[in-house]
Amino acid sequence: MNPAPRDINVRELDVRPILSSGGEPFQAIMEVVSALEPGEALRLYAPFRPQPLFKVMAGRGFDHEAREIEGGDWEVLFTPQPTSAAVELSDDAEDPETWPDPVEHLDLTELDPPKPMVRILAAAERLEPGEVLFALLSREPIFLFPELTKRGHQWAGNFDETRTAFRIFVRVGKARG
Amino acid sequence: MPDATLSPWTMSYFAVACVFLVIGQGLMAAGYGYPFAGVDAPETLALAHLLAIGWLGLLMIGALLQFVPVLIAAPLRAGRLAPSVLLLIVGGLLLLAGGFAALGGAEGLDGLSPGMLPLGAFLLVTGFGLAAAMLASTLLSARALPLPARFVGLGLAALTATILIGAAFAAVLSGIVASDLLATLLLHGVPFHAALGLGGWLSFTAIGVSYRLLPMFMLAPEKVSGAARTVWWTGATALVLVAASVAVVFLDAEAAKTLLALPLVLAFVAVSFYCVDLVRLYRERKRKVVELNIRASYAAFAALLAAVVLISIPATRAAAGEGAAALVYLFAFGWLTGLGLAQLYKIVPFLTWLECYGPILGRIAVPRVQDLVNEGRANFWFGLYYGAVTAATASLFAGSLPSFRVAVAAQLAATLGLMAELVRARRLSSVKGAGVPKPRLFLPLSRPQE
Repeated sequence: MNPAPRDINVRELDVRPILSSGGEPFQAIMEVVSALEPGEALRLYAPFRPQPLFKVMAGRGFDHEAREIEGGDWEVLFTPQPTSAAVELSDDAEDPETWPDPVEHLDLTELDPPKPMVRILAAAERLEPGEVLFALLSREPIFLFPELTKRGHQWAGNFDETRTAFRIFVRVGKARG
Repeated sequence: MPDATLSPWTMSYFAVACVFLVIGQGLMAAGYGYPFAGVDAPETLALAHLLAIGWLGLLMIGALLQFVPVLIAAPLRAGRLAPSVLLLIVGGLLLLAGGFAALGGAEGLDGLSPGMLPLGAFLLVTGFGLAAAMLASTLLSARALPLPARFVGLGLAALTATILIGAAFAAVLSGIVASDLLATLLLHGVPFHAALGLGGWLSFTAIGVSYRLLPMFMLAPEKVSGAARTVWWTGATALVLVAASVAVVFLDAEAAKTLLALPLVLAFVAVSFYCVDLVRLYRERKRKVVELNIRASYAAFAALLAAVVLISIPATRAAAGEGAAALVYLFAFGWLTGLGLAQLYKIVPFLTWLECYGPILGRIAVPRVQDLVNEGRANFWFGLYYGAVTAATASLFAGSLPSFRVAVAAQLAATLGLMAELVRARRLSSVKGAGVPKPRLFLPLSRPQE
């Protein structure tokens, strides 16, 4: 059995019974694929190497790993390609990878808006210019962005792979407008 | 770079919308329009449009100007058109209502004439057309449309269909166009116009918006459930079928009416799945004690379910009067207006808080959003409101005009009470030792948003 990467959830579908009874498994496969949660993988069993499916699944953002198992059947593990959302940057944020490590970490996922915004702005006030803070939120804090910019702070952030958490680095600026 | 700033004209839209809600309920309490006149009487049409366009339409556009950029994390396109759109819609609506009043026998009074109808329709088509274009082009600028945004997009399409059909009606009613084809549409197309407007534009958009706001304020997971997808597919199919049936009207009007049965079934399925999903969201919430705006929203969801169930049962539909008027009333006031008031009660304090305290957040202690309102008083007004809507609906079922007027008067009182609460929030009346300049009540933001 292919090992599932990391600790992601894997759904299984065996289309051998469908095929042996003369049915067409494509629709069943697509139904399962559509029902996958973000980040979930699919393990498929088929009596042959399902070559045409690989392209369809790649179009939907899945990598595949196929291997022959006993009896000439095939097992394919489709895993979602790492699709971390593109990193969003404030206009003046150059090379966030060169920023120093964060001096403060905030987990704000359990707070309803606008509390996360208040906490991040308050934390930024406590830090020295050039210092960085990291915060984890349950959604993109889009009202926060213009306020950070106005205060001269830089930021870089994106969603995680499951799009259930938004991660943001804020580098405190010099201008305290 | 994604960001969202405060929409400068949203409060103005809200304020004008509230004025129309007061006018509409005031007219009903005074005995104007249905049930004191027929369902298709010009007075009823004037009243229905004051409420559907003046109150619900402006409320929704005002909310979307703020909300669509939040939904897709992209700035609003052509936002400078917002004040012109507001003036066009208000001007068009007043002309339209005046034209209807003239048709109803008020001709000669204050210079009202049916000729105002096409002019009003022209302004409304322009105003709503520009609004739809602003919002749709903003949506199209997003890389991918999340499900709530797709609901809004389809709602905008339904809005466009609704106003175009309405403009055709206005052309025929005023006599400027003598076309058999359009006359056929006028004779048979009213249910489609109403279904696209109330069901497509207003309800579909409201459902989309609720899918984003409810998880946000209840701290429930924002994942798209299978039920939500079912709501989308069944609802979208229903809307497309209604729109397609409009074309059938020209061929065979009776067949078109029969065709409406299928979208009704689909709407019933969509609403059922929506309600199942709403219960799931409530159960999965992390915030144990929910705020008043959520409780008041769930009362609106109950009204939606009740209206759709009762309209699907032939016996209750027949008992609801001409054109199922009692159930349309429950739909417009229990569901759409109820949800609108509940969300206003959250959005107005939230935007006011952001406008006033945004610049000083983190530097000094500021009040919380909920410090701007008094939930105890508002709780009473929401209770009165939903009680009055229930009583008014029951009065329509019973055909009791005096009790309907009393119920609408109570509804009006509750609405005025809630509006007073919104004004108090805008004025920061509940905040002790405010320390910040008070915002303008409904004019555009005093603080420029860059």
